[in-house]
Amino acid sequence: MSSEARTLTLQSCRHCGAGAPAQVHFCPQCDRILTLARHGDYFSFFGLPRKLTIDLADLEQRFRALSRQFHPDYFYNASTPERLASLERSSYLNDAFRVLKQPLDRAEYLLKVEGLPSVGRHQDAKELPAGVLEEVFALNEELDDIRAAREAGATPDQLMARLDAARRPVEERAARQEAQLEALFSRWDRQVDEKSSPDVRRATLESLRDLIQERSYIANLIAAVNRERGES
Amino acid sequence: MSYSEKVIDHYNNPRNVGSLPKGDTAVGTGLVGAPECGDVMKLQVRVNPETGVIDDAKFKTFGCGSAIASSSLATEWLKGKTLEQALEIKNVDIVQELSLPPVKIHCSVLAEDAIKAAIADYKRKQQDGQ
Repeated sequence: MSSEARTLTLQSCRHCGAGAPAQVHFCPQCDRILTLARHGDYFSFFGLPRKLTIDLADLEQRFRALSRQFHPDYFYNASTPERLASLERSSYLNDAFRVLKQPLDRAEYLLKVEGLPSVGRHQDAKELPAGVLEEVFALNEELDDIRAAREAGATPDQLMARLDAARRPVEERAARQEAQLEALFSRWDRQVDEKSSPDVRRATLESLRDLIQERSYIANLIAAVNRERGES
Repeated sequence: MSYSEKVIDHYNNPRNVGSLPKGDTAVGTGLVGAPECGDVMKLQVRVNPETGVIDDAKFKTFGCGSAIASSSLATEWLKGKTLEQALEIKNVDIVQELSLPPVKIHCSVLAEDAIKAAIADYKRKQQDGQ
């Protein structure tokens, strides 16, 4: 089922029985808050298309407006289902906002709702671009050597020089990955706009997943180098 | 969660840590990784060309205790095995031997993948050499 079809799925008001589109929060007929349905996703909850580029100021505005509308204080005297709905919608809204405001969390969430096997499955070197695992391994060995040198009494200057040299190539790779990530975000958004075929879109999501995996190695490495710098 | 005694033993006294010469035609090298935790594992086997038996195995793993223990155990098991026997080592055997909890099963999968990658590398070298 396409995302367009899904946003048209109807929910119904438990109070008056009127039908409502999945992405609305209040009954169009009786104005009561609707019980949170199981379908739908964070994007549609905010009234946004499933795109990766998000204007953060706009997202925050939507978040604040919805927070006010759902706030449990306004439902203090309402019926039990309505109070429950206000709590559920408030809590879902907070989760949705936390995920969508971070580009990487947003991308991983998109992969999940688009039904791609989760990020973080094991893989062997051939699934990563040539040289990534080798680079990760070599830098880990260098960090081991640097620790040994520290134990042997190397000066902080010597250690820093080695750490800086070790960090340079991974930081360059990290910068390349950021650029690739931006390009994939734009490609996906364009394909959503152009209603590209599922195969074409899936290929983009697979590239996105692979890049996120590759990126997690490099992010871990940079964190490890920075820890060593802190100790030197 | 606590580590089993066997994991702690392999972690504190890892067997067969080190490297074999990567360029040697009798040596197969497998390098694998787990993106969720950033672990990387290098496992190497040296095969006796006359008998086809693995006569040495080395590993180096950057990762958690379970990943180190899984690869340490794998190198112990590999020595003295033929390539066919080596390929029969399954991650569940490692899970059982080390009593790995469910969250650490991926470490044993990584070790199995490393064995397969090392043997594949060795076989590739033999074909290229002919």
